[in-house]
Parts: sequence; structure tokens; C-alpha cells
Amino acid sequence: MSMGAGRRLTNAARAVPRAMREDLWTTAADPLPRMTRPRWLARLPHVLVAGFAALTFANMNGHLYGAGTDRSATIVVGVQAAALIVAMFRPVPAWWMATSALIVGTLVFGDPYPWGLSAVVPHAAVLFLLALRVRPRAVVETLLITTLASLACTKFEVHGSPDIGWAATVFYTELGRAVVVFAATAAFGAILRARRVARSQLLAQTEVAAEERTRRTVLEERGRIARELHDVVAHHLSVISIQAQVAPHLVDDPPEELKENLAGIRQNAKEALTELRRVLGVLRVEDARSEEARHAPQPTLDRLDDLVGNLRAAGVTVSTETTGEPRPLAPGVELSAFRLVQEALSNAIRHAPGATARVLIGYDPTSLTIRISNTAPARPAGPSPGAGHGLLGMRERVTMLGGILASGPTPDGGYEVFATLPAPTLQQPADYAEDTA
Amino acid sequence: MTSIRVLIADDQMLVRQGFTVLLNAEPDIEVVGQAVDGADAVTRVTELAPDVVLMDIRMPVLGGIEATRRLTEAAGTTVKVLVLTTFDLDEYVYEALRAGASGFLLKDASAAELAHAVRVVAAGDALLSPNITKRLIAEFSRTAGAPRTPRKDRVGELTERETEVLSLIAQGLSNAEIAAHLVVAEQTVKTHVGRILTKLGLRDRTQAAVFAYETGLVRPAGY
Repeated sequence: MSMGAGRRLTNAARAVPRAMREDLWTTAADPLPRMTRPRWLARLPHVLVAGFAALTFANMNGHLYGAGTDRSATIVVGVQAAALIVAMFRPVPAWWMATSALIVGTLVFGDPYPWGLSAVVPHAAVLFLLALRVRPRAVVETLLITTLASLACTKFEVHGSPDIGWAATVFYTELGRAVVVFAATAAFGAILRARRVARSQLLAQTEVAAEERTRRTVLEERGRIARELHDVVAHHLSVISIQAQVAPHLVDDPPEELKENLAGIRQNAKEALTELRRVLGVLRVEDARSEEARHAPQPTLDRLDDLVGNLRAAGVTVSTETTGEPRPLAPGVELSAFRLVQEALSNAIRHAPGATARVLIGYDPTSLTIRISNTAPARPAGPSPGAGHGLLGMRERVTMLGGILASGPTPDGGYEVFATLPAPTLQQPADYAEDTA
Repeated sequence: MTSIRVLIADDQMLVRQGFTVLLNAEPDIEVVGQAVDGADAVTRVTELAPDVVLMDIRMPVLGGIEATRRLTEAAGTTVKVLVLTTFDLDEYVYEALRAGASGFLLKDASAAELAHAVRVVAAGDALLSPNITKRLIAEFSRTAGAPRTPRKDRVGELTERETEVLSLIAQGLSNAEIAAHLVVAEQTVKTHVGRILTKLGLRDRTQAAVFAYETGLVRPAGY
């Protein structure tokens, strides 16, 4: 067991240089966080850092230059100030810059390096900017290296008051004060980063969940559309099967060929129906409609008056208007048009209680236009679970038919849904309109 | 022999006309009227007193199942309902049978099947295809253990032999098959069936079968 522990320790020790190389020999960092509010202040942190860098430069340069050192002081101080600017874009290289400047400054000038206040503050600022954007492990490593490097510069001579207890001594030595400042700023930066990471993870999860919900809604809606259309087709096929049986009865002595032909039509219709029933069995997994709805035929635009009548009976103000010459349309178009009006009106009732709704159906020679609008709500709408799903469903239906859907708020505070469905004029037997159950 | 009087209730004109032609081609069946929805069907039955109503399920105004319920629950009516639909969805079958329908047929059935169904239902016999019987058994054994009919106590009024006959009806056996099974004359079985229907106040064999399942009298093995 001790051997196992020993090996683990060795392995861990071997891993350290690689980890440090990964963390500290890189230009990678999290993207720079921005202030999101207010928007015009988004670049404020950058400006502040740049200002701070300029001040650092002016202060230190004056301090050192005034102290009678040569121009090389300007270069060291310039690197230190520049590190602050670079830290905004490449925090790890910036830290290397600042650390190098600290060491060079100590070797060349001595005080205020490495632990004078004017040297510690800009370095702490670089550490803070670093901690904002790299993982905590790398921050700890930089703290250690910074401390060791500056200790090495002083040849490990720590000045302080030796008469106080060791723990308190930390705060009375230049080293102790510097390390405390470095650690505190780095910790502050790391905390801010952790908060940001947690928040962005939460946001990402929320987005994933929302996408998933949308996808499921679209699939459900497609299933519903497929079910309804297969249903319509099945009814047509069963009528074909009946008519093929009836036809021979309508003439005296029908020729054999005719009877065979009709039998073939019937046989094909029956086979297609069998397949359709299977498909519907798959699609009809959940049919949560009321008994009344399940026992009613699939609706067409003819039933619009019933729908509006029901809403009026429930106290909703709805007006309808039809322009152009109404004509029977393809069953899919009739059904989808009805569902569109139904869905849009139900949205209007949900989101705009007390508003007046208006339905406009326009028959053009090649298309059908549907406009459902409502005025501003008379009172605020209550919370509505599943909001927005109605529009998704409408869009699915309209897209399927090759139509166009537009929706949005109106200038008067209401809402409008507008759709155009391609609807070529059909040549049909006289009773076709009735025949869309 | 007088012909069987049939009323056709369907919201599609082509279907009504089609069935009318097909059934009128049979010498012993006469289509006496058509109804365009469930409410119309209820009115027409009172006017025309048909023997059998061909009832579509999905109709505007009043659906076929609710119309069936109203027709069969009305006092003093003897009209039998044969439900005709595009879909053989299980829920439709159960709802129709529970509502009091005597039979269930798909709309794309052949003319011969249609005529046969009308005759069987008119005679008060069960029109339960083996397929539907099997599904009925499955459905009722799923809901078994919670009998919901207040007529359960009436089972006690049946003799042992009548109970036996009832369970055989519920398994979809014809009179001849029951006679063979019990080793008695077919006429004897007919007498038993008549008594069972009278004692239980049931319309026909189909309803007797539904009753048997709903009361839990029949608990078929294998389900």
C-alpha cells in the first residue's frame, strides 16, 4: 500500500511540470468578459485599465528617473505598464512580462523593487486580470512563481520586525504584505471568474433546454399534421372503395372488363387503406382530444362559423369577413386554414384578454389569404404555459403547404397573424365540398 | 318475409348513396332513409322506425357514438345500430359497443359483408369478428376487476347452463358452435340465448358479450 501511495506521489510529481507548462506556456485564456449593461459602458473596463497603466508608468518613471537612475528605468517601468495593457488580451504572457520586469527592476534598481508598494500594485493588477480569465490552478502556480522569483531577487532576505509571533510577522514583512495583496487580488479575480463560468453554464443549459422544447414541439406538431392529413386521405380512400363497388350497380349488364377494372380499383383502395391504418396507428399514439372532437370529422373552412359562434358564446368579440368568391379547396388547405384560424384565435384569447379579434379570409384565384388580428388587451394577460407553441405549429402547417406566414405586434398594441396558402382553383364534382370528412 | 328496414347515417353524400345502392340490391333489405348527422339520425329513427341503423362515427353536430347511446337507451326502441367507420381503432370499437351498438364494420367492407352484417344484426345475433372478439377480451381483461355495471347482480338470475352459454357467446361462438360444445340441439341453445337476453334486459348477443366481459363473468385465460 505504501508502495502504491509512493507511486501515486511520484506520478503526481511527474505530472506537475507538464501541468505547469500547459497552464503557463500558453496564450490561451477565456474570452474577455464585457460589461453588458449599460451597453455604452461596455468598453469602460478597458479604458480604466489603460488609464491605470498610464498612471503606473508616470508614477514609477518619475519616482525612479527622479531618483537619478538612467533611461533604462523608463524601459523597465514601460514593460510593467505595458503588461497591464497586454493582460487584457493575453493574460499569461502579460504575467511573464510583469514578472520579468519585477526581476530586472530588482537587479537593476533595488528599492522600490521587488516589494515596494508601487511595484506590488501593478503586478497585483496583472494577477487580477489573469485570474479573471484562466483556471484557478494556473493562478496558484503564477502566485507561487511570483513569490519565489521575488524572494530569489532579495536572496531570501526578509526584512521585518522579528519580535512578534511568526504568524503576525507575515503582515509586518514586505514579503508578507506583498503576498497577501497578490493572493487577495488573485482570489477576487478567481471568484469573479467562477461566478461568470457558473452563470454562462446555466445560460447554456437553459438554451439547450429551450431548444429541446422547441424541437419536441415541432415534432409533436408535425405528428399532429401528419395524423390529420392521413386521416383525410383515409376517408377519401374509403369513399373510393365504396364507389368502385357501387359503380357496376349503376348500369344494366355491366361488361366483365368494367367489373374487373372496378374490382381492381377497390382492391387497390383497400390495400392502401390497410397501410394507412397502420401509419395512423403509429401516429395516433396519443390523442388527447375530447370525445366530441374525436367523433367529429376533420374540420374545413365551412366550420369557421361554428368556431366563431362558440367563441362568441364564451364572451369573446370576434368578427369575420370573407373577400373573393369562396370555393372548395384541397382538403389539406381547408384543414390547415381552419387550424390556423383556430390556433391564432386561441392565442389572441390567451395573450390579449378582453381584446376584439378579427378574422379575414380572402379567396384569390391562386391563393387563400388568412389574416387574424386582435386589438390591444383590455387587461394584462395571465401567465400562459406553452406560450409561443401556437406559432410554431402554424409555421409548420404553412411551410408544409408552401405558403408564407408572418406575425407580429400591430401599431395599436394588438397582434396580427397573416398567412398566404397556395390554393389553385380545383375542378371537382358538385358535391365535393361536402366530401371532406 | 318482410324486408329489413335500414337507415343510413353518414355526413358524406357519396357514402350514403353508395350504401343505399349496395343494400337496395339485396332482395331482403330496404333502405328507408338517410341522415346527415347524429342528431338527424335520432330524429329519423323516430319517424321511420327502421330495424337497423348504419351509423358513421365521425359526424358533425352529434357524433355517431353519442347518437347510438341515445338511440339504444331510449325506452321502447328495438332499433339495432351497426357502426360503420373508416378506422378500426380499438377505442372506437369499445366506445361503440359500450354505447349499445350491435356490431362494428369497416366502411370498405364488401357488399356481401355489409348485407350479411345487416341481416345478422337485425336477427339479434352477434356480429363479432374473431379479430374484434380477441381485442375485446384484451381490453376488458385490462380493465377487469372493476366491473362498472349495476346489472351485475342479475347474473345471479341466470341458471348454471345459461351462464355457461353466456360465456360461450362472449367468446364469439355461434349458436351451432355452442350446441356442438355443449352437446345439445341448436334449438335448445336458441332458447337459452333468448332467456339470457330477457333476464339481463339486453338487446342482442353483442351486448350480452359486452355484459359478460364487463361483469367479469368471462376472464379468458392467456390474457
